[in-house]
Amino acid sequence: MTGVYVLGVAAHPWGKWPDKPQLQLAIEALTAAADDAGLPLRDLDGLVAASSRFEGGLGWGLHANEVLQAVSESGAQAINVGGGCAAGGIAIHTAASLIASGECEVVAALGAERMPKGFIPRPPGQPDDVTDTDYLRWVAIGATNPAYWAIEARRRMYDHGTTPETLALASVTMHEHAAANPLARYRKRITVEDVLASPRVADPLHLMEICAVSDGSAALILGSEAAARRRGGPLVRVAGSAVASGRFGDPAVRIPTVSMASDGDATHTSEVAGAVLRAQAAAGIGPKDVDVLEMADNSAWHVLAWPESFGFAEPGESDRLLQDGEYGIGGRLPINPSGGFLSFGEATTAQGVLQVCELAWQLRREAGERQVPGASVGQSAVLGLGANGASVVLTA
Amino acid sequence: MSAETPGVPVAEDLFEQGADGVGLIGTRCAGCGAHYFPVSLSCRNPVCDDKRTVRTTLGRTGTLYSWTVQHYRPPALYRADEWEPYAVGLVEVPEGLRVLAKLIGRDTDALEVGMPVRLVTSPLYTDADGRRVDTYAYEITGDGIGAGGGSGSPGPASSTDGPRA
Ligand SMILES: [Zn+2]
Repeated sequence: MTGVYVLGVAAHPWGKWPDKPQLQLAIEALTAAADDAGLPLRDLDGLVAASSRFEGGLGWGLHANEVLQAVSESGAQAINVGGGCAAGGIAIHTAASLIASGECEVVAALGAERMPKGFIPRPPGQPDDVTDTDYLRWVAIGATNPAYWAIEARRRMYDHGTTPETLALASVTMHEHAAANPLARYRKRITVEDVLASPRVADPLHLMEICAVSDGSAALILGSEAAARRRGGPLVRVAGSAVASGRFGDPAVRIPTVSMASDGDATHTSEVAGAVLRAQAAAGIGPKDVDVLEMADNSAWHVLAWPESFGFAEPGESDRLLQDGEYGIGGRLPINPSGGFLSFGEATTAQGVLQVCELAWQLRREAGERQVPGASVGQSAVLGLGANGASVVLTA
Repeated sequence: MSAETPGVPVAEDLFEQGADGVGLIGTRCAGCGAHYFPVSLSCRNPVCDDKRTVRTTLGRTGTLYSWTVQHYRPPALYRADEWEPYAVGLVEVPEGLRVLAKLIGRDTDALEVGMPVRLVTSPLYTDADGRRVDTYAYEITGDGIGAGGGSGSPGPASSTDGPRA
């Protein structure tokens, strides 16, 4: 086993880019990451693509082989991984494993996404029967994705007394972070009043409290310690990375299911909690060691609930931590200095890669106005449709 | 609100309607006793090696665990002749599950955690052959247990407000 290091990172700004094919978004991010690593693309031993279901790859989603065929026919190994939004994290884990095993010296992980507008529709090619809950939830209930998050948020209000204003503040904080990030989609500072005045989508969640589907791409180039020392600059290490799936009895209101356990004993969102704990164990750290967290905030509820589910805070404690600024830059645990899904934007499979790019910028002290002071341990947490979880720990 | 003459279920093997009311069609594992809705192909319990699944009905009654009101019309796969914002609830049923369903029988701004509910059918649309197409829904049959709802007073953090006394 050898150490795994970050050699290069890059991301294309998130937004709506109707004139740029997914492949072009992918090439731009990969090329920029290679420049950041100071390597020509022909030096990649492998490319791992986080495959999207929406576009590209001859129907298979973004395809590493398609990217290499377009930009560098070097003969490198091409690997594609799926896992919904978690695919980016799974791609990084795969790339890191190829290096840790000694099989490869330099491997890139890549995500690129162009999202459909509005509610995310059902993928093609599924059976129209009750065994497919993604069919059932639409025809029988019409349950949109925000409805799932809203039901969690409503229950949190009951369990912990969370107020609409606190939910809104979560979105305000994420927008505050994005305002300082040139790559983010929404860079305008907003107020709690703005959030509460935005259209109600699924009570208690307003439009500004749910993620906005976006287009974007991100790439991360990993290498061995020898490759990292050749690059020079601050050494940023992949101290831990992990992939996990859900556990039986998880009470999460999980898209696209229509029932879940009420009497189980699994942690809420166990796929992500499992990945977070495994990545920490691999890195030999605990939650208190983490200086900055990049996590998937599909809604304002996630900003409050996830740190509690994953051991960063006690149940019900997030409301006060958020109000006290502890989840902001300069706080005890800054969450999503990138701006997160809520205001950086959401480009599903690319997001898990972008999260780790942001951690690398933070640990290299290259994050400008959104720099988390003294950040030397960063962790990502991402959830993929179904019950896929992934997490990466970087240290510097 | 529940229809008097049976319509056509929106999906086969989703619910059944008999003399004793409406039941959701699901699966019970003969090995470990876990219940699933909708019907499952196997048993998900990792400590269960039996996994013989049998068809069952479940979820005839329950209590409201949480809910939302959808203010935007869902994509076209959700077909309904009438559209106005409606409530989607998560209902705790006696079989160790929480079930997602449309909620009827109460104003959307009068919903509370803990309200008792019963399973009914609810019309969605009339199909090309003139048949009424129904889905399942939970009808509110009583009052909730107060607390929460943005009042700032923490309610009990539990899953014990279900009917499994
Ligand atoms: Zn079983």
